[in-house]
Amino acid sequence: MRNWIIGSALAALALASPVAAQEKVKLINVSELSGAGATAGTNWKNGIDLAVAEINAKGGIMGRQIEIVHYDTQTNPANTRAAVQRAIDEGTYAVLGPVFSGPIGASMQIAQRAEIAQFVGGEAANLTQQGNPYIFRTSLSQTAAMPKLAKALATDVKAKSVAVVWVNNDFGKGGRDAINAELAKVGIKVVADVSTEQGQADFAADAIKIKNANPDAVFAYLNEEESARFLRAARQQGIDKPIWGETTLLGAKVIELAGDAANGVKGHVGLSVDAPMNPLRDFGRKFRERFNYPSDHNGIKGYNAVYMIKWATEKQKKFDKKGVADTLRGATIKVSEEPGILMDTTILKNGDIDRESFLAEVKAGKQEIVAVLPPVGP
Amino acid sequence: MTAETDTAPAALAVRRPGGRIDAALVTILAGALILWFAPVGMGRYGTYVLTLWLVMAIAVMGLNLTLGVAGLKSLAQAAFMGIGAYATGLLTAKMGLSWYPAFAISAVATFAVGLVVGFPALRVKAHYLAFVTLAFTSLVWLFLRNEQWLTGGTFGLPNIPRPTLLGTRLDDALSFHRFVVVVTAALTLMIWWLMRSPWGRAFLALRENPVRAASLGVDVRAYTLLAFAIGSAYGGMAGALYAPLVEFIDPSPFAISASFFLLLMVVAGGSGYLFGPFIGALLGVVLPEWLRFTGGLYLIIFAAIVLLLLIVCPKGVLGLAEQALGAVVRRFRRTS
Repeated sequence: MRNWIIGSALAALALASPVAAQEKVKLINVSELSGAGATAGTNWKNGIDLAVAEINAKGGIMGRQIEIVHYDTQTNPANTRAAVQRAIDEGTYAVLGPVFSGPIGASMQIAQRAEIAQFVGGEAANLTQQGNPYIFRTSLSQTAAMPKLAKALATDVKAKSVAVVWVNNDFGKGGRDAINAELAKVGIKVVADVSTEQGQADFAADAIKIKNANPDAVFAYLNEEESARFLRAARQQGIDKPIWGETTLLGAKVIELAGDAANGVKGHVGLSVDAPMNPLRDFGRKFRERFNYPSDHNGIKGYNAVYMIKWATEKQKKFDKKGVADTLRGATIKVSEEPGILMDTTILKNGDIDRESFLAEVKAGKQEIVAVLPPVGP
Repeated sequence: MTAETDTAPAALAVRRPGGRIDAALVTILAGALILWFAPVGMGRYGTYVLTLWLVMAIAVMGLNLTLGVAGLKSLAQAAFMGIGAYATGLLTAKMGLSWYPAFAISAVATFAVGLVVGFPALRVKAHYLAFVTLAFTSLVWLFLRNEQWLTGGTFGLPNIPRPTLLGTRLDDALSFHRFVVVVTAALTLMIWWLMRSPWGRAFLALRENPVRAASLGVDVRAYTLLAFAIGSAYGGMAGALYAPLVEFIDPSPFAISASFFLLLMVVAGGSGYLFGPFIGALLGVVLPEWLRFTGGLYLIIFAAIVLLLLIVCPKGVLGLAEQALGAVVRRFRRTS
């Protein structure tokens, strides 16, 4: 009887011991689940959930299951800072998110001070120009995407003048600044520079302004819903010049909302579930099966972030928080090594990434990839 | 006169006869002492949330003076906070000025802007004043967003330095928290003193019965402006602490929605009570953070709690507490 009691006690102790607790690796996602960034943040979160479910089903990272926790930032810098601080205090292995550049700017110093890698969805150019060695993008930055677009407008469209319509938030303003600089380099004149509001419902006046400027092409850099509204207004006002954009303008949500008005739209796509690459298409199918709607680029970014962490951990062969950042800087992750990365990806020393991207066109309500563009770097 | 101003909240109106210790003063000093030691063992996150609570409480204190004491329904407090935050951010991060003069300049600047914006308060009242201040908040927000050369626009202003005390920069969470505790205690003591002064009594007289106050020789125009400007300066001083706390500012926390949220904190805490702003900011800042354990539903639960609270106690938490205390005292007197 006594042996039985001692045996039971030892078994209970073993179950409750730190060894059992260490079987998991904790990842905390801090993203925009409410407020202005909720659409982007929710897609990002769902991408993360899909990756975590897949990795856990296959035995986790080096035998450890991932425990994922999501904290909302309310798309507010002060709340983001609180949430990232909480994530670090709670011992997250790496910080996932946020997606909007403002909240990233408010929280990146904390992860840097704690020497923990932070994987963000932001595309604004300045994020990786502040010498923070712990920040990592999950998509091309605007400075990487815009030269490709300006070149295409100069050579494919042979445009001499362009109207730029953009949403006045950190995403749109960053894109507008980047494209205007690149257009100037290739000798294209910006004949209309139209600023619009986030959540704007009526784009008729903007479309008329653009039509009156009579550009050779239109470049639209807006959020998903606004992109669709703009496309409808542009068609209604009889704009028949080529309309170009970057990633969001050709996204599944925009095509669904804009209907026929999206047909003929062309542009550069950094990440797309419609790309002619099986890993990306498989991801798109799995995402739709799980969440009942098509993923946008933010879903792919979140998914990529988790696999970047997995790759770095397996590469360094240990769970070292600082080591994740050290391993990733300057690394190239190939799909042959880690299928979850979806596309061969090079991570630059400053946290920017470089990889192939696409030129696409919307035909009959579907995004079709016209050309695969090589990475910027050698 | 509106319904909520019919009865004067006792906490701000009561004056102790000379020689007796003032309960409010003891509460301020004891509260500061508790908050000085509160974050021990709390971690950086808990300390940060506590500090954010105090900073927001300062902004709410200002609005409490404007609304709860002088009876002016202002929707401009977030804009004043923004002006203070950007003034401090620009002066310290871009021009290399120390935090202390930047704080003073932020306070003086928002006081001056408050005087200018408060001027319409003499002509318009109630919801018309709300519209004027709403327009002002939009104007400030658009300026902060569009004038990128100065404010950094939508990209914000990064790397705002923390203040330095005796040669040491208050970079760690605990020392900055203690710094904010001292500033908050000083600003609360100033309000406490103000309400005991003839000015404070004039403010209350204005709110209770402006015609009677005027007939007694209170300069309605001057005191209305003064209340609005002091309230605005508190917004500016809160902003001057917010910027180094977050170390980054962009226009989003100073938009119209933030003004409404600050107004909610005044009402939920108890409009016109000295400690109402602390309870209100506790509900607005700490409660949503504490509710995070409920997962994705936390904002819905938060909204439901606030809704219930305002139905149960339209005079705020302290209004309810005062009613309950009054009932107990009456019963005690009857039985004895």
